[in-house]
Amino acid sequence: MYKTTNSRVKPTLGLAAAALSVLLLAGCGGAGAAPAAVDLGSGPAVAGTVKKDALKGVNLTFVSYGGLYQDGQTAAAVTPFGKESGARILADGPTEYSKIKAQVESSNVTWDVVDTGSYWAAGQCGTELQPLDYTIIDKSKVPAGLAGKCSVPAMQYANVFVYNKDKYKDAPTSWKDFFDTKKYPGKRAIDGTENIEGGIIEGALLADGVPKDKLYPLDLKRAFKKLDTIKDSLVYWTTGAQAQQMLESKEVDMAVVWSGRAFGAVKNGAPFEPVWNASVVVMDTLTVPKNAKNPKASMALINYYLGKEQQEKLTEETSYSPVNVEAKPKLDAVGKKFLITDPAVASKTMVCNFDWWGKNYTNVAEQWVAWVAK
Amino acid sequence: MSSTLSNAVRPDDGVDPTMRPGRLRPRRDAQAPARRGRLGPALLILPALALALGIFAYPLAESMWRSIADPQPGVQNYQWFAASAANWAVLGRTLWVAFLSAVICLALAYPYAYFMTISGPRLRTALIVIVLIPFWTSLMIRSFAWIILLQDTGLANQVLSWMGLGPFHLIRNTTGILIGMVQVLLPFMVLPLYSAMKNVDLRLVQAAASLGARPIVAFTRVFVPLAMPGVVSGSLLVFIQALGFYITPALLGSPSQMLISQYIYVQVNGQLQWGRGSVLGVLLLVATLLLLGLLALLMRKSRRAAGDEGGLL
Repeated sequence: MYKTTNSRVKPTLGLAAAALSVLLLAGCGGAGAAPAAVDLGSGPAVAGTVKKDALKGVNLTFVSYGGLYQDGQTAAAVTPFGKESGARILADGPTEYSKIKAQVESSNVTWDVVDTGSYWAAGQCGTELQPLDYTIIDKSKVPAGLAGKCSVPAMQYANVFVYNKDKYKDAPTSWKDFFDTKKYPGKRAIDGTENIEGGIIEGALLADGVPKDKLYPLDLKRAFKKLDTIKDSLVYWTTGAQAQQMLESKEVDMAVVWSGRAFGAVKNGAPFEPVWNASVVVMDTLTVPKNAKNPKASMALINYYLGKEQQEKLTEETSYSPVNVEAKPKLDAVGKKFLITDPAVASKTMVCNFDWWGKNYTNVAEQWVAWVAK
Repeated sequence: MSSTLSNAVRPDDGVDPTMRPGRLRPRRDAQAPARRGRLGPALLILPALALALGIFAYPLAESMWRSIADPQPGVQNYQWFAASAANWAVLGRTLWVAFLSAVICLALAYPYAYFMTISGPRLRTALIVIVLIPFWTSLMIRSFAWIILLQDTGLANQVLSWMGLGPFHLIRNTTGILIGMVQVLLPFMVLPLYSAMKNVDLRLVQAAASLGARPIVAFTRVFVPLAMPGVVSGSLLVFIQALGFYITPALLGSPSQMLISQYIYVQVNGQLQWGRGSVLGVLLLVATLLLLGLLALLMRKSRRAAGDEGGLL
């Protein structure tokens, strides 16, 4: 910054200069602040713990999708972490990938830990996101195969097929029934956003006769052809709240929705039943953007988040399933019904192939958007 | 802050030299009386100019640049647009929905504005207030209200079913988008129409009648042409605003009936394809300018045919 001053600046010119400098400042505010030297203590990391007052004076911004979910994360892990570590925690949201990209591109990263979709995280590892340090994060209690190079799971859920039990006396039991509009007439709601996830594509292929063990690599052409056959009966939800509202108002008779939203609707009295053997398990992930200001502190937060108690509380608050194998959340009957890590549910559901999805996500999402919008 | 402030007027910073105090003092003194009068107002528009450049011109230039430079230089983003039928469908749908909004707004607003013109001052004030009330209500609140009213199990369909009709799908499709957009945009049609109509001398219509024209003829051949500028400016206002609508279609429409603003959001935010998002923005701008150019041409032709040299566009 220059230090020249000119006292003879005319007022009007000064005003113009002020307007200009506001514009300039808006583009480069908040840079600087080198990472503080962080001492997280010695010995191997243990999930759910952090060295007392290790992060005094550190600011961390935790970003997630807002609503009940982020409130639960905040209460279960983020706020307690701030209290124990001494870090000052800020919240932001909802997660928008373009904001991560803009921050990384302008080298001014203000988001420290971000909850993202798992496929996106796998695809952006090294470009928008940085590799996680597993000497700081203890992943020994994370379900096998869910922790990646740049991400750990934030919680698990399912894209669950639910139907209105008052409408169909002869209950649907499989993906075939979801695609059978003759036997089961009525509107079906599915996710219409660009953030396509495991669920409806797998369902279309299974309904079309592809055996379960030959699903991947997904035959997109065939899946879209099958989806074309029910396009007139489809409506699309674009937010979780909207999905839940469609169930509660009984606007649709069948739907594929996030298990947490199905739980919310049923809890509020919507007469919907899950079909678990036509449901696909997916997850959200926690990530650290590239060039985050204090990656060690970010990862300390993630390590704390993965603890047994934190995961139990998260599930009790949000109904989403824990990502610590030792977690035993206390739930009521409805909550237990939608707990996808419960053996009664887990024995029926199918876990999506995270590896395939991560590698092909951009391509699938592109084709999906074009199919929906055509 | 203060250092940045002075930074913007450093001597070699590109500010017009005539505005710089000191160096050009003699020349300025020589022409002082004439120049001061002209320079004052010119300086006053500087903040607005800086704002316009910073907030409109720069982002526009940036998105044009990105459309050919992101992720790498070349025309691949334009090729992407041309190759996919879905892209053309979205652009076409956007233009069509904007056109329908303008037509529906016109059909609703014309009689309304005419009624305002011929009614007394008190009733007219009431009519204006009715039009303006939605103006003062948040767009989000209105859109959510429409969702509740129009959903399949909502009030509108309940009323229709009492009358033995329906249920109709009134949201999550183009119908929903149009209902929402027309309600939001109606004031932009009513107000220009009214301001054009109130300047029409109604005695001309009476004069036509006194010369033997039937009321319908007097209205269509005298009043309608005179109020035409209001129709044109109202329709343009509505059409152009409708092209860029985001919130209303996002809430009342459906991803399967996506308009271009939603599509830009998907490209920029969901797919991180900023170049493609920029292409969509650029093409929307070009399409709009082409349509406006065409309209201006038609207007000039019809005006020349009518022997009127005045110009609205």
